[in-house]
Amino acid sequence: MTVWLDQVRRVVGPDQVLTHPIALTAYAQDGYTLASGHPAAVVLPSTAPQVQAVVQVLSACDIPIVARGAGTSLSGGAIAGPDSVILHFSRMNRIHSIDWVNRIAEVDPGVVNLDISRALAPGGLFYAPDPSSQQACTIGGNFAENSGGPHCLKYGVTLNHILMADLVLPDGREVRLGNLAGEPDGPDWLGLMIGSEGTLGIATRLWLRALPVPPASRTFLALFDSVSEASRAVSDVIAAGVIPAAMEMMDRLAIHAVERGAYPVGYPEDVEAVLLIELDGEPGVVDADRHTVHALLKARQVRALREAETPQERNLWWANRKTAFGAMGLISPRYYVQDGVIPRHVLPDALDTIRRIGQHYRIRIANVFHAGDGNLHPLLLYNDRDPDEVERVKEAGSEILAYCIRVGGSISGEHGIGLEKLQEMAWQFSADDLRAQQSIKQTFDPSGRFNPGKLLPTPGRCIDFHPLP
Amino acid sequence: MANLEDCVHCGLCLSACPTYQVTGLEVESPRGRLVLLSQWREQAAARDSETRGWLDDCLDCRACEAVCPAHIPTGHLVEAWRSQDAPEARPARALIRLLGLFLGSPRGLSWFRRLARMSQTRWGDWLIRRMARWLPPGAPAVKAGLPTLSAAGVSRRDLSGDGTSAEIFFFVGCVMDALYADTNRHAAELLRMAGYRLSIPQDQRCCGAVHRHSGSPEAARHWAKTNILLFEHSEARYVAVDAAGCGAALKEYASLFPPDSPWYARAQRFEDAVRDVVELLAESLPPLAPQSDRAITVHDPCHHVHAQGIAQETRALLHRAGYTLAEMRESTLCCGSAGIYNLTHPEKSQALLQRKLAEIPDGAAFVAAANPGCLLHMQSGLSAQGGTQAVHPIDLAWQAYHDAGLGTPGSVTL
Repeated sequence: MTVWLDQVRRVVGPDQVLTHPIALTAYAQDGYTLASGHPAAVVLPSTAPQVQAVVQVLSACDIPIVARGAGTSLSGGAIAGPDSVILHFSRMNRIHSIDWVNRIAEVDPGVVNLDISRALAPGGLFYAPDPSSQQACTIGGNFAENSGGPHCLKYGVTLNHILMADLVLPDGREVRLGNLAGEPDGPDWLGLMIGSEGTLGIATRLWLRALPVPPASRTFLALFDSVSEASRAVSDVIAAGVIPAAMEMMDRLAIHAVERGAYPVGYPEDVEAVLLIELDGEPGVVDADRHTVHALLKARQVRALREAETPQERNLWWANRKTAFGAMGLISPRYYVQDGVIPRHVLPDALDTIRRIGQHYRIRIANVFHAGDGNLHPLLLYNDRDPDEVERVKEAGSEILAYCIRVGGSISGEHGIGLEKLQEMAWQFSADDLRAQQSIKQTFDPSGRFNPGKLLPTPGRCIDFHPLP
Repeated sequence: MANLEDCVHCGLCLSACPTYQVTGLEVESPRGRLVLLSQWREQAAARDSETRGWLDDCLDCRACEAVCPAHIPTGHLVEAWRSQDAPEARPARALIRLLGLFLGSPRGLSWFRRLARMSQTRWGDWLIRRMARWLPPGAPAVKAGLPTLSAAGVSRRDLSGDGTSAEIFFFVGCVMDALYADTNRHAAELLRMAGYRLSIPQDQRCCGAVHRHSGSPEAARHWAKTNILLFEHSEARYVAVDAAGCGAALKEYASLFPPDSPWYARAQRFEDAVRDVVELLAESLPPLAPQSDRAITVHDPCHHVHAQGIAQETRALLHRAGYTLAEMRESTLCCGSAGIYNLTHPEKSQALLQRKLAEIPDGAAFVAAANPGCLLHMQSGLSAQGGTQAVHPIDLAWQAYHDAGLGTPGSVTL
């Protein structure tokens, strides 16, 4: 057992290998708190050759590997079993170069998402995908999970912004996929890797597409006395042909929490829903869209409309929204956030269904979500010291996902499957679909060493394939 | 107040934490430290030197508390742990006891200044080199950061109050009083220029911040009572302070006492009256014409920006005094000084210092920092480089008003 440990220590240096039991406890969870696992060791590589060497050592000894960035996964993607080793990428956090002419940033996988936009800002550029955890989450994790964020409504998800990547495969080979032109040459191997949740390969360097900061941008808040009116307004805006940069919704319980958090906006206590809408682009287009959106909101009984007057005000509104998950800690010991997607037009019905499911299982549910693209984030509040409530929260969660599939949506928009939604994978996909996905995994990782137990339900092991009842 | 169980593991604190930034270890992050604290509490096996080390590496910078959506007071929880668990295991404790002899009384402070001044003579230099092996490894670096000390004594000796009906109780501090005496004189002068009358009691005491952060709240509590009494006696409206670390500690005076203690309410009234000098001056001094000959940048001390939410006020004051600012990246990241952290954790402290100094914009003549620890620490690194100097924003503001002919003739210049 210690042979591989000694070898790994020689690769990265003894200080960069943790085996102290208490230190490993600190790595037992990520942002998903309904599961935990104690890894055998944590290794912190500093360079791509070190990653490759560590993977080769561990592969030779048949040790499973889990890659971890900032550990902000909401589906347990970075939780490791007792026989696994965590590769923690926090020390590989350099922005290597920025090609201002071709608008490409070359970065390490451990770079924090927000740091990329900060580095691009002096040249008037930004990196578009902005998960709400962007102040902490890393680009390597974004790559693995194909992360989204509020502004993906207009700009697309991580997949649309990664041009090229170096990866280490489970057999220890390093490959470069994609190209700087951003057009796949033959099969889209890079596209296959993005969102594979660390089960097929581990990124060691990434080339990202940077975009020019739009010349005009307007951000406003629309307060509503009814969630369904707010939901209908969302559908109206999209139906009118306007694509906002972002269109977010929070309901009353969510507002209650964020107003007690680090960035209170001053929402009235009795408001039932708030929409945070951002329009950006050419000044003329933004002005025209603004008129359209205002008129549509007014037609849906909006109580009040506020427009951000300064960049500081806009940043405050976004900070308030983006720290909403963490703010649940103020109103509940734990939360379980879901990530189901539904067709936009069923939003009012979906929120009603979620409310009824919450009542049935006696679980408080706050809603914070990317309304514009129908990506729900119901936050199921629970106490982890109450085993009965933990069970109820899991059942309520599953039922919400079953509903999403029933209305033609999907079980995950951007948080990934991880450990969390294995069972629901079998509801979403047919046995044939899953077998096809399994065969891809088999091709790249026949021994199942990369992030085992995640993403794909294993036939005949923990979970059987069974269709949605 | 929220407790460690209330952490929902969102991880938003990680990128704010200086020790996580330099080590990359989850156990050196706020979220990780909360796990360590709960393990420490629940199982004896967890109470070993490695776990203690990870916990004790916390800088008390409060950056995690400022960004936590659930308001988990991680810094305060580590501080409470320090005062309860195995304090004898930490070298900081002995150092604090020694420092307390100097910082605890006005007479001790005079000696402190004399010793510091002696260290700047050739003889003192020789002595420090001979004694190097008995000194904490960070001590020579601290000496390099000292401002040049004149023969004048501690600041309180020649700062006299303005008689009765003063609006301001001017808090002179300990290190500020002894080593940055000129800054205190400048602050008093600017406050008077802004129209305030000052009360400056001679027997006021140290705020106790360093003792508190190192797990010895008793001394802090003792001195707090003296300061509260003096404040009540002065009948002033504000307590003005020009050190970020002291300001943050003074604004937490009530938490030194149990809520049922009669001191609690008195400490609360004291807390509510505390203002940083930059808060008081930012809007009240006459605006000067912009001057662009000396570029400056601002470092935000942790106990300004994270503990008190002060950042814009410093910039507003410097603007008003006519300075042009070039902002540095990561201006809110700890410089590694953190009380006596530079003495107890020289390696991490130096790593943070080098990171900080690398962010100072080219050509900046001054980096403004409103805290004595930051000034000492940053200047110790800067004196090796030449060029930029670390200066208190009050000194910069005072210099500008002095140059504009608004100061008192004959005062000390930069």
